[in-house]
Parts: sequence; C-alpha cells; structure tokens
Amino acid sequence: MKDVRPWTYAALFGTLWGAIEATLGTALYLSKLPMRGTIIGLAGLLCLVCLRRLQPRPGVCLLAGCVAIFLKIFTLGGLYPGPIIGIGSQALALELALTATGGRAVGAAIGGFLALATNPLQMVVTMWVVMGGEAVRSYLLVLQEAATAVGLGNTRPEVIFTVVVMAKGLIGVAGGIWAWSVGGRVIQRLGRRT
Amino acid sequence: MNRVAALLLVMSTAVVLFGDPLYAAWAALVVMAAAWILDPSALRAGLRFSAVLAILFAASITAAVVAWAEGPQRGIEIGGMMLLRLLVLTLAAAVLVRSVNAEKLLRAAQKMGFERLGLVLGLALNSLPRLAEAAADVWNASKVRHGPALARTRWLPNLGEVLLAHTARIAEEAAAAASLRGHSALTRPGNGLRSSIRVVVITGPSSGGKTETVSAVAARLRSSGVSIAGFVQPGEFADGRKVGFRVRDVTSGEEASLAILEEGRRGDFGTRFRFVDEGFRLGREALSRARSGSILLVDELGPVELRGRGHMPAVRAAMAVQGLRGAVVVVRRHLVPALLAEVEASDAIVVDIEEHGERSVEAIIDFLED
Repeated sequence: MKDVRPWTYAALFGTLWGAIEATLGTALYLSKLPMRGTIIGLAGLLCLVCLRRLQPRPGVCLLAGCVAIFLKIFTLGGLYPGPIIGIGSQALALELALTATGGRAVGAAIGGFLALATNPLQMVVTMWVVMGGEAVRSYLLVLQEAATAVGLGNTRPEVIFTVVVMAKGLIGVAGGIWAWSVGGRVIQRLGRRT
Repeated sequence: MNRVAALLLVMSTAVVLFGDPLYAAWAALVVMAAAWILDPSALRAGLRFSAVLAILFAASITAAVVAWAEGPQRGIEIGGMMLLRLLVLTLAAAVLVRSVNAEKLLRAAQKMGFERLGLVLGLALNSLPRLAEAAADVWNASKVRHGPALARTRWLPNLGEVLLAHTARIAEEAAAAASLRGHSALTRPGNGLRSSIRVVVITGPSSGGKTETVSAVAARLRSSGVSIAGFVQPGEFADGRKVGFRVRDVTSGEEASLAILEEGRRGDFGTRFRFVDEGFRLGREALSRARSGSILLVDELGPVELRGRGHMPAVRAAMAVQGLRGAVVVVRRHLVPALLAEVEASDAIVVDIEEHGERSVEAIIDFLED
C-alpha cells in the first residue's frame, strides 16, 4: 500500500500552522505589537522545518502552506491579503531552499533567511496594492526621517530598507537553525514514544 | 444577472486598485452595486460600522503621513484613494467569503482532479478539534508539572516540541486510518480486507492484556477441537520496559524474535523498533495454516501493517481463504472504526477488554461459536 504519510503530515502540520496564524497571528495583528511578523514567521518556520525533517519529501512544505491558507481563510483569519501572501511566500521559500539543498540544515537556514526577509518586501507590496506607489514612497521617506533621528541622516531610504530586510533575514537564519534542532528533538521524542 | 454582476465586481475592483482616481471613484460605486446584487448581506457585513471606522482610521493616518511628507493636497488624494481601495477590497472579500464555503472548495478540488488535495483539506478541518485537544492536554500537563503560569513560560520551547510530536502522532494515526479505509485517493484501491466472515475486534489499553486474551481464546478453541491459525505477539521486557516483541505460532507454539528496541535511534517503518525477517517469516508460516473451517487469530494489526507492510500481505492472503470460519483481530482503540469500515464483515463485534474484563474470553467464544 502506498505510504500516505507525507499527505497526512502535511495536512496536520499545515493545520497546526493555520491554527497558530488564525489565533496567535490574528491576536498579534490586532494588538499591533512590534515584531509581530517576525514572531509569527518563526512559528511558521518551526512547523515547516519540523515537517520536512519528519517527512523529507519535496512538496510537503508547499502542501502545508496550502492547508494553512485554507484554514486562515475559512476560520478566524478571514480573507486578508497580507497574511495569505505571507504564508504562501514562506512555504515557497522553505520548499525551494530545502529541496535545493537536499533537505539539509543549511537549507533550513537559507529558507529561514528567505522566509523572514520577504516579510518587509511583502509589506511593501501589500502597501503598494492597497495604498498605491505614493504611499510606498512616503513610507521610505518616513524611514529616512527615522534614520535622521538616530543620526543616520545621510543614508538613503533604499539602503535603510535593505538593512531592515537583511536584519530580518539574519533572524530567519537563526530561526531556521533553531527550528532544525527542534525538529531533531521532536524526532527523538517520537522515537521514544512510537 | 449574477454572472454580469460578478464580472463587474472583478473588473471594477481592478480599476480601483490600478486605475486613475477619477475612474476609481465611479468603479467603487459599481463594486457596491454589484455586491448588493450578488449578496446584500455581504454588503451589510462588509460595511459594518467597526469595519468602516477601521478603514477611515487607516486612510486618515495614511493621508496625514503623506501630507506631512509631500504636502496636504497629495495627502488628501492618497488618503482618498486608500479609502476607496480598502472599501472595495473589503466588499470583494466579503462577497467571496460568503459565496465560497469549505465544502464547495473541496468539491471543486475533486472536480478539477485534485482529489488528494480535497481529502487533505478535509482532513485538516477534521483534525482541528483533535489538535486543540492535544494543545489543551499539553498545557494542562505543564500546569501540573511546572506550577504557576510564570514558571511555565520557561518551559514554552518544550511545550512546542511536545505539541509538534503530538501533531506527528495524529498524522501517523490519520495515515493508518486512511490506509485502512482504502481511500481511493489516498491509497491504491483494492487493498482492503473485505470479508464475509465473522470478525472479532479485540481492543483495549496498551499493555492491558490483549495478547493474554487472544492466547486464552486460542486455548479454548483448541480444546474444543476448532482448527485455529495465526499468531500472537507477546512483548519482551527488561527492567520493567518493553524492549521488543516475539511472534508465536498459535498452532505449533514455535517462537521467533520480531522486533527489537533501538535505543536512541530510529528503527524501521518509522517506529523505534528494528524488525527481524525471521519473525515475519514465522508470521507468514503461521497465517498460511488457515484452512476452510479455521478461525484466524491476528495479534495485532499495528501502524506498520495498516500501511500495508509487515504481516499485512500474509494477513490478506489468509483472510481470502475460502470457507474461513472467523477471525479475531487485535488493534489499538483509535483504529477500531477504520478497521470495521474496511473489513465490511457480515457480522462483527468489538470486545474492549477493559470494559468486558473477565467476560472477554466468554464473549468472544460465544460469538464465534454462535
């Protein structure tokens, strides 16, 4: 009989991720806490990397992403474009990185970088769609003003934005490695329990 | 009418998102009219007071920021555009969400040939309560172990690990259940255990005496002169821990090692045990003794078998023997419904040894000999 575990694992880990997005994600979104995108991004990273360690088959991360989007739309989350684009891009980033590296730890690190670095990019794209190009330019100007306030007045807004993207990406690298080690511990735990 | 309204809704939304401000204002009115034609309640839901207030607030903030950066006129222009865009997106989303429900999406996925995707999404919806239950269990266990909420926060990473392990466990069970149901999309069809014989399903808690019950049933049947075939799988213990399984032929009494615990490493078939070919060989031999008039004893069908591996091919062959009188199968509790759905037996009972207690053996014998 064909092994259906990659499908059920993707369904269950996608459900877990979708449930986290719909509950914790919605709560963080409403609370307007700083770094909310990073926190929820790390939760997603943990689910996806752990899933890929338990079921090292190409495509499982993408399938889990589909499940999480499905649950996000049809449960508490509703049809907000930002989180849906975020979930999709995170699943795609992890899938590409882990498949390209043969499902190794370095793939989790690269995937973590891509997944979290795309957060600010995704925010800008959503802003562009909802508010238009002028608002994006204004956002960059606000960034420059903020930089001036901390003594980086000569820095161009694009550079500041790149720095923000890189900083998030580095958090993603650390998150990817952490998720990889957690995945290993989960495997050990299952080994003891199965 | 509805199709024209839906088309107008999509086109006008695109105009508002990407078009000139003057056209955008007209397009927003068209969107409202189309939403009203398609689903008046969606229009009311989309334009509820709290949503409109939030949109006004977001547009005002944007207008203020742009006005500060590029002057008041530009601020009003951009704020107005954002107001229109948010209104239109909210309305379009309200119409979409109210017209598409999970069931429709699943059916559409199946129609388009993505049956597995449909089943996976269905499984996701069905698993939500189980995951919530697992999360509550993990949290309650942590309460007992680590005390007040503040102390528990230190153990949050561990809680995450346990929750992920629970998720994997539920996925394993779902895979086993899907295999048992012989789902046309999740498994290859035609691998079921369809049978017209009488089937007794023995279940109960782990280490609760299932093997002892089957052994007692075997002894009773043998003493009554009934032909039996099959095997039992007694556990092997060291220092109070289960360190493996043996397989014992109920007819010949011959024994062999079947599984050995792998300390600190993953075993075979995604379990913590390394399986021994000799054990499978003896199991096949024991099952092959089934003849017309025999009662088959299988202790037990675990996740390995439910994925079609291990003893499963031999069990299938034995269940297909013409004139078989009955079968006694041991499974874990969570697999009972799926097993019954798959077996499609003409007559079957479930004996939970915890509920039946000492009457278990009598109940089984009565059923088989009735």
